[in-house]
Amino acid sequence: MEAASIKAGHAAHPEHDHHGPPEANRSSRVEPQLLGMLLFIISEIMVFGAFFTAYFFIRVVGEAEWPAAGTELPKLIAGVNTAILLSSSVTMHWALESAKSGNRFGLQAGIFTTMLLGATFLFIQINEYVHLGFAPQDHAQGSVFYGLTGLHGAHVFIGLTLLAFATARAFRGHFTPTEHRGVEVPGIYWHFVDAMWVIVYVTVYIV
Amino acid sequence: MLNPLRSEREAFRFLLYVVIVAAVVVALVLLARAIL
Repeated sequence: MEAASIKAGHAAHPEHDHHGPPEANRSSRVEPQLLGMLLFIISEIMVFGAFFTAYFFIRVVGEAEWPAAGTELPKLIAGVNTAILLSSSVTMHWALESAKSGNRFGLQAGIFTTMLLGATFLFIQINEYVHLGFAPQDHAQGSVFYGLTGLHGAHVFIGLTLLAFATARAFRGHFTPTEHRGVEVPGIYWHFVDAMWVIVYVTVYIV
Repeated sequence: MLNPLRSEREAFRFLLYVVIVAAVVVALVLLARAIL
């Protein structure tokens, strides 16, 4: 009888159904997690802009030879590495589309493959550093080269960390066709990192 | 309008546009170098 009257009381006052701390205030229409990533990426674009300024300064204003005399950049290996990174964006896209359509295998395989391809890219990049034959302190070109590619490599590492969390969650079944923000946000970041590499590759290795 | 920061799908499309623009820039630079 008492339980029935409590239930009736809750039905009359739905605000009593909420337990725990009050809902956090939201000042934006964008979800907080997405907004955080957007602001982060915008600040990252500015950081890369500073490094590109140094690159264009020594090449255009300083009219320095690129790469420095007696050095050579491995265009072909970096090109293969670019293809690997672009492939990882395709698998990332596949993973999220699979999550949206409820294809759990596609999500798990896609996100895990993305992580493997990203790790391969980073491994090849480190291997390239070992065999380059010049160091950042040797000349301005070396400083800019290691600065730009190293900054990008650090971003790949951050992306891999985010992907590791997303992969673990995907294998635990945390994502559904309606709730997949944990894949969407790292996905946006991953594509940003890949787009930035295309610009770095074209300016540093090709042009 | 395409906003790569709105969703993963738009970010992926933006990446494809970046690849296409980069390929065009490289082609133009190589062409210019061959002519000049």
